[in-house]
Amino acid sequence: MSDGRNGPGRRQVLLGLGAAGAAGLAGGVPAARAAQKAADAPRGHGETRERQPFLGEHQAGVTTPRPAAGMVAAFGVIAETPDDLERMFRTLTERIAFLMAGGPVPELDPGLPPLDSGILGPVVPPDNLTVTVSLGDSFFAARPWLAGLRPKHLQRMTAFPNDALRREACHGDLALQICANTPDTAIHALRDIVKTLPEFLVLRWKQEGTVPVVPARPDGETESARNFLGFRDGSANPDSNDAALMERLVWVTGDAGEPAWAVGGSYQAVRIIRNFVERWDRTPLREQEQIFGRKKASGAPMDGRKESDVPDYARDPEGKVTPLDAHIRLANPRTREFAEHLILRRPFNYSNGVTKSGQLDQGLLFIAYQADLAAGFIAVQSLLNGEPLEEYIQPVGGGYFFVLPGVRGAGDYLGRTLVEASRGSALS
Amino acid sequence: MKLRRLLISGAAALAIALPGLAAAKEEMLHLVAPIADYKLYVAENTEKLVADTEAFVAAVKTGNVEKARALFAPTRISYERIEPIAELFSDLDVSIDARADDFEKAEKDPAFSGFHRIEHALWDANSTKGMEPYADKLLADVKDLHKRIDGLVFPPKVVIGGAAVLMEEVAATKISGEEDRYSHTDLWDFRGNFDGSKKIFDLVEPLVSKQDPAFVKKVADNFARVDATLDKYKTAKGYEPYDKLTDSDRTVLAAAVNTLAEDLSTLRGKLGVD
Ligand code: HEM
Repeated sequence: MSDGRNGPGRRQVLLGLGAAGAAGLAGGVPAARAAQKAADAPRGHGETRERQPFLGEHQAGVTTPRPAAGMVAAFGVIAETPDDLERMFRTLTERIAFLMAGGPVPELDPGLPPLDSGILGPVVPPDNLTVTVSLGDSFFAARPWLAGLRPKHLQRMTAFPNDALRREACHGDLALQICANTPDTAIHALRDIVKTLPEFLVLRWKQEGTVPVVPARPDGETESARNFLGFRDGSANPDSNDAALMERLVWVTGDAGEPAWAVGGSYQAVRIIRNFVERWDRTPLREQEQIFGRKKASGAPMDGRKESDVPDYARDPEGKVTPLDAHIRLANPRTREFAEHLILRRPFNYSNGVTKSGQLDQGLLFIAYQADLAAGFIAVQSLLNGEPLEEYIQPVGGGYFFVLPGVRGAGDYLGRTLVEASRGSALS
Repeated sequence: MKLRRLLISGAAALAIALPGLAAAKEEMLHLVAPIADYKLYVAENTEKLVADTEAFVAAVKTGNVEKARALFAPTRISYERIEPIAELFSDLDVSIDARADDFEKAEKDPAFSGFHRIEHALWDANSTKGMEPYADKLLADVKDLHKRIDGLVFPPKVVIGGAAVLMEEVAATKISGEEDRYSHTDLWDFRGNFDGSKKIFDLVEPLVSKQDPAFVKKVADNFARVDATLDKYKTAKGYEPYDKLTDSDRTVLAAAVNTLAEDLSTLRGKLGVD
């Protein structure tokens, strides 16, 4: 027996009802149809027309500014030959290109299931959507014909000391980071891909999150959105508009000793990090600020006045102003040598419901990009191991993935360089 | 669920006969033969279900745990094959095949009955103690089901739609191994559901193969993939326990099931069954 027995199809059969009968059942159809004002939606500002370019040397969604909604979904992949893989990537490319551009959904005979879930209406709005495709270590490990093509630093995420990883929320052959102005647009994209690629992709887990929209201040100054611990998050992030900086920190370049197909890609570290918010809210403000090394209200460093001020640790060698074990001081001691460890963070806040103990299950869907996973996320997290913040957080899921290079023009497709390289190595 | 059961127990015979009338319509003529064949298939399976349930129930009532365990999965498989039809009688489906989590008090709920109630006793308590009333009820329900199916006009929509519904069920609630959670005999149920879905597909295949050979090939390939995967777990007496299923084979099965559900969901439209 199934839980789905009460599907509408069967119920209508049982009742012997056509659409007309069902409408009658829906109750109290008024004799005269009065026109009704049908507009029950929050008022927006036309952002649904915002569009991110799909084509480019790199995939969108990495250096793209964070929109309000984000999601990571991880899949198992069934593709046993380079031809399978090409078919999968071409279909994925075609779907993502359409979803990011938006447009009308083709209509079918109403006797067939519709092509689209319809949750965004008959004309899909672009809504700032990005879908970023990445591959996990298991994808390469399970395919001997990809031997030698695994990105140098790609590995299975292992537990750090404070982790309590849940098997059902970790790893994956392929991940999609889906971001948009509204969660519905991200969900629509996920459902489209799940429906279109069932023979290649089996969903394993997903985590959704949001970030609040922060209007610019009257004086023009922009501030970072807050996370669920109430602190501004992203203040010290490297400037993702600085293409040269991104080339150095985020994108894999030709001189990195990586397989040639991987140039233009990036390493993605995903961590689902629970925040113990009740406990945090019972912690004195001064202690909260010491734990992060920033002021809660303004986001300024302990020795600064506004968010964009840069802390000067050289003048505070004993950590009297910013404790030596403050989150931001451990994560970036701001020495010259540390430049190679900088990462680009792109997190979203999540709120999942209630735990068995009756506590809020909230946290951070932490996503970071870097050209070198070992020098980036893994090195920084190792420095953070044992930090005072650990008392209030617990990583429970996630994984490491490699973001494919971008789709460079018409005829190109996601993963093409990998597929071609695999054919080359199969021949040799 | 309540509303549905109410409607069914009241007007079941009439309501089911109604859409059945559509079969008489001119454009449904091409479905008459496949549906008649399907009716035979269902009859064979219900007869087997009754006979097998008699043996199973006898083992339970004589306290022969070992024998009852051995008969559990092979008895169920006939039910799993004809689930789209069996589930039309949702009062019986609940009492024959409901799972503990369909009830507020789960395993302890007195309303929890049928195959899974007995399965729980056989594997969890390793005993048939207190199972006599459930065994009697199960046999009575199965016989009742047989009788009701005999008198049923098969609605084309349920038959043709059934191919996808079976895959939908595996995808939604079975692939995870939740169905036979005490005995871990899920692979038998998979086999039954696939058989049932494939039967429907085979019967109507000649009607779609001309207009859409690529579709027919894709569906057939996925059924073949399922067969090949399940065959790896065949034993002399049936199938390995569910926990032997490797992660990668589960992924292959899940993909095949989802793809079959997606493809077979167009069967009604392709055959003009509204
Ligand atoms: C729930 C977990 C976490 C929370 C709530 C959190 C929160 C914060 C906050 C409020 C800041 C200061 C503002 C900013 O610069 O963005 C910050 C900075 C930072 N965090 Fe985290 N973070 C968390 C996890 C992590 C993890 C797992 C890493 C990497 C392993 C990390 C790396 C960084 C880095 C590199 C900075 C910037 C430091 C600087 O350059 O000054 N954070 N984090």
